[in-house]
Amino acid sequence: MKKSVLPLSETIGGSSARPPHGMGAILLAALLLGILLMGLQLWLLTIALDLYLSGQTAGIWELAALSGVIFLGGVLLQMALRKTITGPWNR
Amino acid sequence: MGFIEDKEAEKRPRRKITRWQALFPFHWDADAFVMRRDLLRLAVQASGAFFAVTAGLAGLGTLWPRKARGARRPIIEAAKLKPGDVHYFSYPTEEDPAMLLRLKDGKFVAYSGRCTHLSCAVYYSPKKEQLICPCHDGCFEARSGVPLAGPPQRPLPRVVVQEDGGMIYAIEEQPR
Repeated sequence: MKKSVLPLSETIGGSSARPPHGMGAILLAALLLGILLMGLQLWLLTIALDLYLSGQTAGIWELAALSGVIFLGGVLLQMALRKTITGPWNR
Repeated sequence: MGFIEDKEAEKRPRRKITRWQALFPFHWDADAFVMRRDLLRLAVQASGAFFAVTAGLAGLGTLWPRKARGARRPIIEAAKLKPGDVHYFSYPTEEDPAMLLRLKDGKFVAYSGRCTHLSCAVYYSPKKEQLICPCHDGCFEARSGVPLAGPPQRPLPRVVVQEDGGMIYAIEEQPR
């Protein structure tokens, strides 16, 4: 006998589709990496602030450049994920 | 996992969807997936903000670097300060606390009286021979103004002093 099931959440037509296997893990890994690199950026920011307040400018642009590279990496990663992961869950 | 049996599902008429369901047509599992994606987007935005602030500081440091400030001004007669004594004064403006120390070897040193952590007033402790910030127990070495303990990371700004004709003069305050 065929059993019908009702999801615990509200469901509408066609929305029972789920993310492909492994995609959730990739997104979670990307998210964790992003948060780790954000911590590094925050550290770079505190060093830049210290250098500025102490009146030293040597090396401050290198910190900004490194922070920019991390940001650019984040943008590219997000773009790559948007391309590879598609489906009804992808707004 | 996450499902319960509903034997009456086929008999029941299909419900009309609500407005929020139309706006957010995701399954429960997909909902968590979407939230992670949103969080990733937020993280990238925050990363951009961190970069912008760091670049802004670099720009500020290049265009308007913090320079020494103040002009030559008499502080106190040298004979009035014995070794181990301290004299509090204002420099470079009336709103900027500063202190002049006569070290035990007779040398004069002066610093800004603002802690480099959160700008609390710093005082000299002759007993410890240290400059103390009472707000968060920050400690600075009296001879160099370098932080010894507590949250301050930068040394106290130094006030350059000069002895001339028995009088101690403040020359300028140097950021450090």
